[in-house]
Amino acid sequence: MADKEADVLGIVQRLFGKEPASKDVAKKRLKFALVYDKLEISDEMLQELQSDIIAVISKYFEIDKSSLKLDIQRSDDLSALVFNTPIIAAKRKNVAP
Amino acid sequence: MEGKVIVITSGKGGVGKSTTTAAIGAALALEGKKVAVVDMDIGLRNLDVIMGLENRIVFNVVDAAKGKCKIKQAAIKDRKIDNLFLIPASQSDNKNILTPDEMVRLAKRLKHEFDFVLMDCPAGIEQGFENSVAGADEAIVVCTPEVSAVRDADRIIGLLYARSITPKLIINRIVPRMVDNGDMLSHEDVLDVLSIELLGLVEMDDNVVIATNTGASVVHDKISKAGAAFRRIAKRLNGQPDLPIQIPQYQKKFWGKIGKKLGFGR
Repeated sequence: MADKEADVLGIVQRLFGKEPASKDVAKKRLKFALVYDKLEISDEMLQELQSDIIAVISKYFEIDKSSLKLDIQRSDDLSALVFNTPIIAAKRKNVAP
Repeated sequence: MEGKVIVITSGKGGVGKSTTTAAIGAALALEGKKVAVVDMDIGLRNLDVIMGLENRIVFNVVDAAKGKCKIKQAAIKDRKIDNLFLIPASQSDNKNILTPDEMVRLAKRLKHEFDFVLMDCPAGIEQGFENSVAGADEAIVVCTPEVSAVRDADRIIGLLYARSITPKLIINRIVPRMVDNGDMLSHEDVLDVLSIELLGLVEMDDNVVIATNTGASVVHDKISKAGAAFRRIAKRLNGQPDLPIQIPQYQKKFWGKIGKKLGFGR
């Protein structure tokens, strides 16, 4: 009954919050793979884009850089990259000296 | 009345395309339709052994397409089902021996004689794919709940759309226990990524392997869950498009149920 043991082990691991369900990892990898395939861009470029976007947003808003999330939304005819970040505060424009 | 040509394709190999083609063909024939299944994998034929007809081949699809024989001569009658026929691939030819034009003409002739013509497309997106799709009216994409299979399915769906064909999806080899555990993509996950219409869900079933060993069809197997799923898919193709899709369920054991009641597991 190796199946059963694997089941129990999996449940115990998840109860202690050790790792996410492997299918969620699969789904995320899949979504990104499809975007790379369509746009023909690499993971590295996407990382750079993300850090550039952080830099630009940070010019105007105070954001929590670590909680910025990159996601992909797909509908029938288009895929969208979605950057999501909570804004902590707007930066005051520096008054001219 | 003219029949329909349906191509069954997947991009990735080994997801159960040929088995699916044979099973749906058999189920449609049991519904009373006259069916031809065509093995388009020139040079690597397999549908003949899956259907247990490997020792009856005389002519093949290349002969039929090139006019070297009549369709009646190339179509091998199934051993058990009277109105099911196999047109085998040739084993010695090169993949590029057929052209899309020849396939369009062959498909037209086949439609004339059969209610359903199922084209079993080879893996890949090269000439074999082009030829299989050339004469098709509709398409079925088969994938398994794996990253690689779903990715290839997405590519194939794109190529079919480019040919103005809107395919339907069969998800094959679902393991309900693993889905329940969160260790296998669920059909919702796959549909979420691919966003196409679902035609059927087939669970992993030992009976498919057993049936294929002897060249029998799994749709004759009354206790096989996969067989039942293929029979329902055939009904959906044959005038009952709204037949509800059954989701493979994991039969939880007693302690698992208690555990869930107490809030363990997920």
